[in-house]
Amino acid sequence: MSQSRLKSVLGTLAVSAMLATPMAVTAGEISEEEMQQRIAQGKELAWNRAQGNCLACHMMPEGTSPGNIGPALIAMQLRYPDRQKLFDKLWGVEETEVKYSMMPLFGRHGILSDEEINLIVDYLYTL
Amino acid sequence: MKKTLSSAIAIAIATSFGSQAIAVEHNAVAEQSRTDLINYFQNKHPNRPFADYINGIYGYDEDRRMQWQAEEEFPQYEEFVERGEELFNRDLNAYMGCMVGSDRGVAHIRPSYPYFNEQTQQVVTLEGDINRCRTEAGLKPFAWKRGDIAHVGAFLGYEARGQKINVVIDSPGAAAAFAAGEREFAEPRGQLGLACASCHVYNASRQARSDILSPVLGHVSHFPVWRGKWARASGDGLGTLHRRYEGCHKNMRHTAYEVQGEEYRNLEFWHAYISNGLEINAPSYRQ
Ligand code: HEC
Ligand code: HEC
Repeated sequence: MSQSRLKSVLGTLAVSAMLATPMAVTAGEISEEEMQQRIAQGKELAWNRAQGNCLACHMMPEGTSPGNIGPALIAMQLRYPDRQKLFDKLWGVEETEVKYSMMPLFGRHGILSDEEINLIVDYLYTL
Repeated sequence: MKKTLSSAIAIAIATSFGSQAIAVEHNAVAEQSRTDLINYFQNKHPNRPFADYINGIYGYDEDRRMQWQAEEEFPQYEEFVERGEELFNRDLNAYMGCMVGSDRGVAHIRPSYPYFNEQTQQVVTLEGDINRCRTEAGLKPFAWKRGDIAHVGAFLGYEARGQKINVVIDSPGAAAAFAAGEREFAEPRGQLGLACASCHVYNASRQARSDILSPVLGHVSHFPVWRGKWARASGDGLGTLHRRYEGCHKNMRHTAYEVQGEEYRNLEFWHAYISNGLEINAPSYRQ
């Protein structure tokens, strides 16, 4: 798990840099174009029934026929200013686990890789 | 609402308690589970009458209920009930006197299942006995899940409509089978970490995508069912309860058990017992 946290922190650095200067990305960080690609990939992972399938349970902007088992995934950046906390929730670290919840432990149970979770978090931050 | 669930389900989830649930009085634990579940659903949906639980999701959504009622007027399964009757009558001698309840007439066969066989210490299902009787009469057993076996099941269910589910637990073996079934239902299984209870107890009435989640009470009353989804996939749309178990296990990303194997038979035994007192309304139409 320490490894997964490390990767997430690396993701965080790239993204927080992006947010601070969305148009002008300095060398060593990812370009606007790359970021758009990551967001598109994250959205695909989140919506795909065989992968994240978040819409089975959550309302998400633009998502058709969502379930209502979990809370709506909106205003994610506002609600999760700390990107690591959002990553941890999706990964399923014990401290964020809610008893009897249907929310899958995506990282802990090996449903999604750490990189895939990072892509989804990039996408969630646009909601 | 979750706080009102003091049932064995909650305990089983929390402590994996089930295996000790072999009561001195053999059906005391089972009866507690059943009444706890009824109380839970009564608290959750105070306006839904107990007798309506045989109608699954259609007690939760008025629009879908109306569509469904229209379907049930000229149901897609009707021809299969007739086909089931023909199949049954063709090999009548194999079944009559072999299937439990048949001595009292065809209508009494379905309500006699599932039951616990003390000699073999195994749960016996309707489908299991259809094939046992065929084999003992020198006939070829039917394939499980769909086709002939579902047609005969639909006919036997249709004949039994209106009678009440009445599964009996009166031995340590039966109590153990019930407890094993309860564990299968209440404990998380598969990669998504879900239990049957996650969907069909705690989140019943909520939606997963556009599917409404049905309550566990009454689940067994209307099987086999005819589903549009199954008709589009393969076969004629009619399927058995164990076919449905397999489908839900796949959705949970859990390797499905063998159809009519011990796990599913125990699960059916639990599932049917907790619906005691509800009317049989098989077969039925489902989305
Ligand atoms: C099978 C149902 C289910 C699926 C699939 C699911 N969730 Fe959840 N999720 C829940 C439930 C129920 C909760 C509320 C209880 C909890 O926090 O565990 C929740 C909570 C959350 C939360 C914390 C609550 C909030 O709004 O801040 C986030 C974030 C979240 N889910 C994101 C996701 C994402 C992203 C996906 C897909 C990759 C996903 N979920 C898939 C059921 C689900
Ligand atoms: C992720 C959610 C989920 C889980 C977990 C789940 N199911 Fe289901 N189940 C459904 C959905 C959706 C349907 C179709 C709508 C309905 O009738 O509930 C369904 C339908 C059923 C039906 C048919 C109900 C009817 O009236 O025709 C049965 C029986 C059933 N499930 C049993 C089970 C059992 C047993 C388990 C555990 C092995 C299980 N389910 C686990 C979602 C789930």
